[in-house]
Amino acid sequence: MFTMVVGGAASGKSAFAESLVLRAPLEHRIYIATMEPFDAECLRRIEKHRAMRAEKGFQTVECYRDLSSVRVPKGSTVLLECLGNLCANELYGPEGSRAEEAIFSGVQRLLTQCSHLILVSNEVCSGGTKYAGDTLSYLKLMGRLNCRLAALADNLCEVVCGVPVWHKGGSL
Amino acid sequence: MIFITGPLFSGKRHYAMELLGCEEQDLAARAALDVQDLAAQRADDLEALARELAQYEVVTAAEVGGGVVPMDPGERASREAAGRLCVLLAQQAQAVVRVFCGVPTVLKGPLP
Repeated sequence: MFTMVVGGAASGKSAFAESLVLRAPLEHRIYIATMEPFDAECLRRIEKHRAMRAEKGFQTVECYRDLSSVRVPKGSTVLLECLGNLCANELYGPEGSRAEEAIFSGVQRLLTQCSHLILVSNEVCSGGTKYAGDTLSYLKLMGRLNCRLAALADNLCEVVCGVPVWHKGGSL
Repeated sequence: MIFITGPLFSGKRHYAMELLGCEEQDLAARAALDVQDLAAQRADDLEALARELAQYEVVTAAEVGGGVVPMDPGERASREAAGRLCVLLAQQAQAVVRVFCGVPTVLKGPLP
């Protein structure tokens, strides 16, 4: 099963996505972390998310780029957080032009391994149209991947103030 | 007229082609696309603009009202006009659809 959880900044999407994972058996919870610790703000954010996952029995796998290289146990429940970081890491990394396919095929590869993938993604395309250059490329990449991955997903939910709005599926 | 809105790059154009059963090259004749950018040039004439656009089978516009109010007065005015235009278009439309990650939700209907 594939569930996408999408929301704006601080919409409660992580907490909601984690609540979905908690329905899985304790030994099968994998968390794929994508944030590269560049500075103190990143470290604080990583610390906040680590605290949220503490005692929830997650096994953490770090993956900044090349999602296809990640291996998870058969039958596991995987929380991948988040598409926004992966897109930035790939797009501004050494193989930026391959970002879309690298992420899309990486997700497909994960789906063949786990029993339930929960992907947290970001709504970043609602803040106007006056963008250019790298930011515009990033928004296009996010928009395209959100559409392509949502087409694959069994469940798609938008989190608004912590409340899930199901656009697809939802009988979890 | 069916009005399709949603974030940038959310699949509005693709959904318009699906609704009309047409290919990309025929879309321009039947649909007015990304009209959020037209609004600023006709800011004092939005009602007439909305009536003109309503002649198309489909009109699409990106949601641009989120985020912080822009510092630049021109961008501020353009965003304001875009939002007002969308409200007028939604009033005149027989159906309004919001596309989110490629998935349509009918906000006003029914679809023909």
